[in-house]
Order: sequence, then structure tokens, then C-alpha cells
Amino acid sequence: MKGMIQGLGVTLKTMFSKKVTYAYPDEPLKMPDRFRGIQHFDPDKCIVCNQCARICPTQCITLTGKPNPDPEKKGKVIDTYDINFELCILCDLCTEVCPTEAIVMTNNFELAAYSRDELFKDREWLENNNTNIRQDNNNIGAPQRGGAK
Amino acid sequence: MIRTEELLLNVGPQHPSTHGVLRIVVKLDGEVIKEATPVIGYLHRGTEKLAESLNYTQIIPYTDRMDYLSAMTNNYVLCYAVEKMMGIEVPERAQFLRLIVMELQRIASHLVWWGTYLLDLGALSPFLFAFKDREKIVDLFNELCGARLTYNYMRVGGVKWDAPPGWIDKVRDFIPYMEKQLQDYDRLVTGNEIFLNRVKGIGKYDAETAIAWGLSGVNLRCTGVKWDLRKDEPYCIYDRFEFDVPVGKNGDCYDRYLLRIEEIRQSLRILKQAVEQFPSSGETMGKVPRVIRPPEGETYVRIEAPRGELGCHIVSKGKAEPYRLKFRRPSFNNLQMLPKLLVGETMSNLIAILGGVDIVLGEVDC
Amino acid sequence: MSEEQKREESRPAEPEAARREDAAEARTGGPADARVENAGEEKRDEPAAEGGRETVTAREASGGGSAGTEAGQPAQPQPDAASDQPASAAGAEAEGKAAPAGDGDGARAGDGADAGTGKSGGEAADAGKAAVDPEREAKIRAAQEARAARLAAKAAAGAAAGGAAAGKDAAAAEPKPPSPKQPWLDEAVELLKTEVHPEAVEEATINALSDDMPTIVVKAEHWPAAAKLLRDHEKLGCRYLRNVTGVDYETHMEVVYFVINMETKREYAIKIRTDREHPSVPSAVPVWPGADWPEREIYDLLGIEFPGHPNLRRILMPDDWVGHPLRKDYVPLDPEV
Repeated sequence: MKGMIQGLGVTLKTMFSKKVTYAYPDEPLKMPDRFRGIQHFDPDKCIVCNQCARICPTQCITLTGKPNPDPEKKGKVIDTYDINFELCILCDLCTEVCPTEAIVMTNNFELAAYSRDELFKDREWLENNNTNIRQDNNNIGAPQRGGAK
Repeated sequence: MIRTEELLLNVGPQHPSTHGVLRIVVKLDGEVIKEATPVIGYLHRGTEKLAESLNYTQIIPYTDRMDYLSAMTNNYVLCYAVEKMMGIEVPERAQFLRLIVMELQRIASHLVWWGTYLLDLGALSPFLFAFKDREKIVDLFNELCGARLTYNYMRVGGVKWDAPPGWIDKVRDFIPYMEKQLQDYDRLVTGNEIFLNRVKGIGKYDAETAIAWGLSGVNLRCTGVKWDLRKDEPYCIYDRFEFDVPVGKNGDCYDRYLLRIEEIRQSLRILKQAVEQFPSSGETMGKVPRVIRPPEGETYVRIEAPRGELGCHIVSKGKAEPYRLKFRRPSFNNLQMLPKLLVGETMSNLIAILGGVDIVLGEVDC
Repeated sequence: MSEEQKREESRPAEPEAARREDAAEARTGGPADARVENAGEEKRDEPAAEGGRETVTAREASGGGSAGTEAGQPAQPQPDAASDQPASAAGAEAEGKAAPAGDGDGARAGDGADAGTGKSGGEAADAGKAAVDPEREAKIRAAQEARAARLAAKAAAGAAAGGAAAGKDAAAAEPKPPSPKQPWLDEAVELLKTEVHPEAVEEATINALSDDMPTIVVKAEHWPAAAKLLRDHEKLGCRYLRNVTGVDYETHMEVVYFVINMETKREYAIKIRTDREHPSVPSAVPVWPGADWPEREIYDLLGIEFPGHPNLRRILMPDDWVGHPLRKDYVPLDPEV
């Protein structure tokens, strides 16, 4: 009997302590800066090096480049860039290897949709997903930084 | 004329108390179990086969998802194996970060176990207490590496992120808070008569059986065998810290319960020392070549995960992908003793025993 | 063709002789052929010429006088470089090894050299005639001389290291002290040989990559007795089976058992090899009941049978699955699944 009374005491004490739940759908949930949410893509910075597509563990990134329309400059320019969010596990390896920080994570995480077709995001959508972009990217895998990986 | 018949009951893959998709086919005589056969494989995702076509950095997110309640230890075992094969030295600060993160993960994992075990036994409020405290740890991890469950934090040669400013202080504040909470948990549950009746003397086995069956972790220590890989085969920088290894006497569910609570206390002790000795500056990644190619050969490393001995056996042919990557999962080896333990028990004891083994199906199936 | 033949003959015999000599310096005839052929091909593109030389220099560092071989045709400095080569690159081992192999190799390499010369001789002759800029010649000569000098310096610095790989290994292996776990390995092998069967042990090594784990390869038919010995003998006493792994090498399959004695921390990795057509390893369940599910998993995923196992059924895959997924040659029956 005594054990149960003691336990009840603990529960009653908690009744008067501060609430720890979040009022989530009503109030937006603020995530810390490093949170790995949906990606944001900046096509101007992309040099079509293909590192993100190669490192992706689930191979959810497909991209094509086209030669630079400006005849003076060399190199390629990004043409299409798709991420298949049915496969993407938001692991952050693509931002880790991008040498120009063209692809970065944001802090948005709401991706739920009613149909699977909406989960195939193209370049335009990813470019427009530019709220809450993560500041601290720490792309240690990028070749320019000495590639310590 | 009354006659009894054997009943074949399916404690099906969808069940709130089987901690995942575990199916146990039970032959019952009344309420007493005659034979129990676990059926697993519902969560088999072929991680080992996939790993043969991915390079080591790409496998790390997959390891997160094996034992999803203690993802940091899974990350670590893979990185440790590759580092051992290649002879890479991990800098001091990275080692400390790894250790702090693994011990926090151990506490989080034991908290989940505690909450869900008591939920299975019928106590509904400890579950919420456990998750409230686990939320604090998970928030710490969120600040550190950006994810709450599948961290993808460790890399071969170090860790990906350095601690953000103020993080170590938050860890330091968490320790006395958790100690106080543990006292509350003791008052809440450990003396509770109903609880004691349900777990004392249930699921007993002795040390010989435990060693013969290859059990590990708390399931082995509850019988009195003092075998903890953090002390017996030290890895990371565990040999610098003082902590005890709690060992049980009777080998029943109650001992396992007490041991896990005591392990949380010991983890807090290690954390206190680690936070004190934390180097104020340092690198987070060692010298690692651009493409990680371990030399040809094989290696087997093992660490003490919250559930037991987690091992990683890599056979490498000198390429960037492993030739064969095998994980020795503690839940898989611990679960094989279940049929033997369950003979002669009642159905309610099945739940108590199964909970006491502490399995995670992601790990059992790999 | 006649023109080329003429050119071939007119080409001083030196490069050919030089090439034969250098090919004889090379460790084996195969790579020498390949190198000569490759060198011939690389020679064809002018811009690639430098690159070709670079890659061949890299290869050189690991062995032989390939630079001499590839630099065969275009210029006369070749013989100089070539003659430098034999003198310096002939470390003690290299010469010792190359000499007996030299004759056979020389003959084969000679043919290869001929073919190479034939092709590249014609090409280089054209190239030489077309791009007869004195600048380019001078540049090539300078580059080759620099490389030869570097090579001489390197070879002089470490004759054994620059020469044959065997030399390298011998030099490296000497200073390594025997591992502290070697006595464990020896004792176990002794006991296995005397108590189980003299032929039981196939190989016994120390796995340096894995903290010097003593690794013993035991023959499959003696495994049950060996397992009992490992568990019960008072010196070994390995009562705790940690892990059982199955590995599919394409030529055979292996099952590895990791056992440890918890009191003395003595541990072993026992490998049992079996063939691929009917893979079968006697089960260790009578000795260590903890091998139960791991062996079932290996049976399920790799198809290795374990006679003596009380309950050998599929464990992870569905019961009616066809095939063994972890095998290297596994093709799913139904690609949609």
C-alpha cells in the first residue's frame, strides 16, 4: 500500500507543475538552426558537379545541366533538378558535399501531401522554398575546403 | 463433458506491447504457454545487402535506422570499425563529443524502455514522464545535429558538427535535473506493490544459460556476470572515466529493471566527468583521405549499446564499398532465448518478460 | 608496310635493345607487355604524351624500368635514360628476380617491344617528322632527363624500396614485432592439431587490422570436435559465442565464428570454408546454443546448410521465398517485389 501512495504523491505533484506540451498546429514550431528540413536550391550557385546526386544514399536527386548560354563563360548551368521526396531521408549528405552551397537545408519540415505525385519536387519549387534557410551548413565534404572526409 | 484443447494464439505483428512488428505464435493450454515461437522479418530492409553497393559515408544514415532508439551507437560502431581498419586517429574533442552523445543516447534509450515497459504492464503515467525527459535529450540532439531520431552525426574520422555555443552548458544543466527525476521515478514505481508482484521472480535464468545463449548487455549482467564492454574492451575514451557496472543477482525481470535504472545513473556520472574534462578547443575531424578505402582484410569491432553488444564485421576488398558488412545486433541474439523462457508462463508474464528483454525490431530484422 | 618495315630497321637497334633490357628489368612479363603496349598507345597522342609519361612514372615507382620501355622511341636520349635505369633500378632483389625471369620475359617482351615499336615506331617516326620543332624535341629531352634523374635519385635513395615488391615487403615486415596474441594462436593450433585431428587446421593467422585477433581456419568435417575443444578445454574455455557471420566470396563461402573466454579475455575467430554448390557447415548449436538464430539467418540469406541445427528454417525472409538474397549472384525471382 505504501508504495502506491508514494507513487500517487508523485503524480499529484506533477499536476501542478508547468505544462511541457507544444500547441503545435496552432503555433508554428521553431526548430534550432541546424535542423535538417526540406532543401532549398539556388540554381545560380550550382556548378553541376553532380556530387549531391552521387553521394545521395537513396539516389533521390536527378539533375541535368546544359552548357552555359553565355558564350563567354565556361562550365555548365543547371537545367533540371529534381528531388524525389518519397526517397529523400533528409540526411544532409547532399548539402555536406556541395562546394558552392547551392543546395542547403531549411528548417521547414511540413511536407505531408494527399497524393504521392506532389512529393516529386522540381527545381522551381525547391528554389521558392526559401524561408527559414539554415545558416550553419558546415559542408565539410566539399572539395574546396580541403575535403576532410 | 468438459475438455480442454490447445489454443494457437497469434500475438500478432501489430500489437502495442511487442515493441515493433514482432509476431509470437503461442500454443496455450488455458492461460499457460506450452510453446512460443517468435516470427520475425517484418521489418527486414536488407541493410546488409544495400551496404555492399554504398560507400561508408552513405551507409551511416542506414545504420541510424537499425536500432532507431539508439542511433548514435549504431553510427559509432560503423565509424569505429572503419577507423580501426584504416588506422585513423580521431581528435580529442571529437572523442569527447562522441562519448557525451553516446551516453546521452543511452539515457534516452533506457528512458524509452522504462516508459514502454511500464506501459505494457499497465501503468500509464510513467510513459509520459519518460517522454518528457527524453524530449529534453532529443532537443539537445536537435540543436547539435539537426535531427531528433536519425542523427547521421558521426563520420569516419570524427563527427560532423561541433557543439554549438552553450550546448555543453545545457548538458551540464541536464544532469542534476535527470538525477532528481530518477528519484521521482523510484518513488513512483519501484516500491509499487503491483509492479513488484508482476516482475519479481519472473523470467529467471542463471549465468550459465546466459553465457551459453550468447546474451549480452543487461540480460547478461542481471545474472551476476560482470561483463560490460565499456570496461572489459574499452573503446572511445571510456577508460578515462570512473563508473560502476551494476550487476544483478537473481536474473529475473526485476533485476533487469533495477539495472537499467542504475545504468542511467552511471551514465549521468560519466556525463558529469566528461563535461568537466571537455577540451575547450580542438578539431572535430581527423585526417581522413577524400575517398575512404580501407585496406583489404576484415575486422570485427564491438561496443556496448544500450541493448547489449553491438558488433560490426566488415570484410573489405580495398574498395570504397564494403564487400560484406554484417552487424551483430544485440536484440537479435537476445531474442532467441525467448521460447525457452516462456514455457510454462502465463500470458501476462509473456508481456513482462518480452518487455524486460528490451528489443527493438529495427535491430532484430536489420 | 614496307616503308614502316624500313623505318623499323633503320630505327637504331638501340631503342629495341634498350627496351628489351628494360623489359628484362621489369618484374613480370605480363605487366611489361602491357606497359609497352600502353606506352605505345599513349605515345600516339601528342598532348597525351606528357601525361603518358607522368602516369608511367607513377607506375615506375612501384617497380621496374617502364620509363625506359615507354620512352623507347622518339629520341636518342632514351638509351641514356635506359642505361641509367639498369644501373640504378637494379636493386639486389630486382636483379635477382628479374634475371631468371629475364630470359623468358625478354623473349616475350621482345615481341611486345617489336609490336610496340612497329606501331609506335611508325607513328613516332611520323610524329618526329611532322613536329620536328627543335623546341619540342628539347622539351621532351629535358623532361626525360629530369625524370631519369629523379628516378636515379629515388632508386639510389632506397634500392630495396624502389625495386621489387617482395623487397618492399621484406623490408617492412622485418621490424614488426610478433603480436602479443601469437602465443594464444599457437596454443590453440597446437591443441587443435593434437586433440582433434592433425589436419584440422588449414591456416592460422593474426589479423592485424582487427586488434591482432587470432584467426584460425578449420576444416568443416572437424568443426564439431574443434568447437567442443574450444569450449571445454581448460586452457581455451571459450564459452561465449559472440557472433556468427557468413560471407560469400565468389569462389567459396565462409562462416566465421567469434568466440571469447570471458575470464581470460582470450578470443578467436574461427573460419570454416565451404564450396558454393552445396554449402554445408556442421552446426555449432550443440556446443553453443546461442548460435541458433545467427545460423538460421545465414541459412536464410546465404543458403549455407547447417546439419545438426534443431530448427533450420527461414527467419528473416518469408517462408516461401525463393533464393538466397545475400549471395553475390542473387537475382530476385520477381523483380517487382
